[in-house]
Amino acid sequence: MPWRDRYKGERRSFFLNPVHGSRLDSMPAGGGLAGSDPDLLREQLIDAYDVSYAILVARTFCNIHPDPDYAAAIASAHNAWLAETWLSDYNHDGAFRGSITIAQQDPDQAAREIEKWAGHPQMVQVTMDSGARMPFGQRFYYPIYEACERHGLPLAIHPGTEGMGINHQPTPGYPTHYIEWHCSMSLSFQAHLVSFLTEGVFERFPGMRIVLLEGGVAWLAPLMWRLDPYWKALRSEIPWVRKPPSEYLRDHVRLATQPLERPADDRQFLALMEMIDAEHLLMFSSDYPHWDFDSPTRAFPKLPDALREAIFSGNARSFYKLDG
Amino acid sequence: MTSYVVGRASEIVPGGRKLVDVGGRSVGVFNIEGRFYALRNACPHQGAPLCLGSVKGTAEESKPGEYVWGREGMILRCPWHGWEFDLTTGRSVFNPHRTRVRSYRMSVESDGESPVDPSVETYDVTVDDGLVVVEV
Repeated sequence: MPWRDRYKGERRSFFLNPVHGSRLDSMPAGGGLAGSDPDLLREQLIDAYDVSYAILVARTFCNIHPDPDYAAAIASAHNAWLAETWLSDYNHDGAFRGSITIAQQDPDQAAREIEKWAGHPQMVQVTMDSGARMPFGQRFYYPIYEACERHGLPLAIHPGTEGMGINHQPTPGYPTHYIEWHCSMSLSFQAHLVSFLTEGVFERFPGMRIVLLEGGVAWLAPLMWRLDPYWKALRSEIPWVRKPPSEYLRDHVRLATQPLERPADDRQFLALMEMIDAEHLLMFSSDYPHWDFDSPTRAFPKLPDALREAIFSGNARSFYKLDG
Repeated sequence: MTSYVVGRASEIVPGGRKLVDVGGRSVGVFNIEGRFYALRNACPHQGAPLCLGSVKGTAEESKPGEYVWGREGMILRCPWHGWEFDLTTGRSVFNPHRTRVRSYRMSVESDGESPVDPSVETYDVTVDDGLVVVEV
């Protein structure tokens, strides 16, 4: 049976937003899914906020499936569609950049998918879901990282399949409500980051770079304040980690800002930006068209000019080499 | 305060709404069971077009495990982040303790309150000889 006949568009089956999953004004008037109409997207995002580049991260939910070949077929079909539509037909102004979707169930197949698209001029990163069966530092995944490194492509991980299909839920059992599940997604990001750092992924693959998308940013400081001191005592367990784990971040890790944690007091927010080295590590993300979209003009308090320039422009431009 | 004619009462049926531009502001006019209410079409959170949101009821505060549905047809929910506002007062559901007027004044005076003001500017609406009139 061709994969096309088998595909039913499966997404996660529960922990659906009880209110609305996407901005209501992002639904195209002529029908179709939120974010599916390039003209409306340009109006509400590119033109509304004078966006130079939008790096698209699509949600195929392919990593929920127990059949690795089926999952890989979904990823592959998606990449071909993305290249034909958003990266060419819809991309007359060159605003759109793409992410190569992979299904991590079969890392060898995923690496071949990366090979296939790595030369595409608009594909600027690889992406996979943070819902997982094992932490991302483990060697099971290394064919993916080897391919990313070889082609200089960052790997962006995005939440949404935690606890879905074959993936573990990063809490002690399943929470009851969407709000709990949604709020707990940052837990898998913390676990994956600690795994990347302690397993020595960035020593094995010195060119490997990762992007933590939609996993929160505020937790980074206390996590590193725990991990660095533990490393002083326990480094003999992981002797390949040759410097304090937090010192790998600037060379290998970026965090996208949405959904931005925002204390009521802006002074606390600015202090947080210093604690997490925001000037080097953060890149703005909107999550358009989802319900928790961060407005480029309203999500942040007033920032110092250099920090604002870094988060909204400079960091992403240099990380992705967007200006050639 | 200036009065603007924004339409005929008959064109906004109970449960219906109309977006109008008055004095340079986008305003949503809502008919709830024959009474008219007007709210500014900008969410105080991140500036979303609030008046495009759904109008339903809300789950009122209740004991753990209980659901008490109330204010059916009176709750406007922001189309972006889902914040709920009582159409009849402009007050948010999650922080109704500041009245509409008081919270608006507090945000204008920058008196140390949170920059996120949970109330929406509302306007008086009257029906005069079949015409809906908004006071801005």
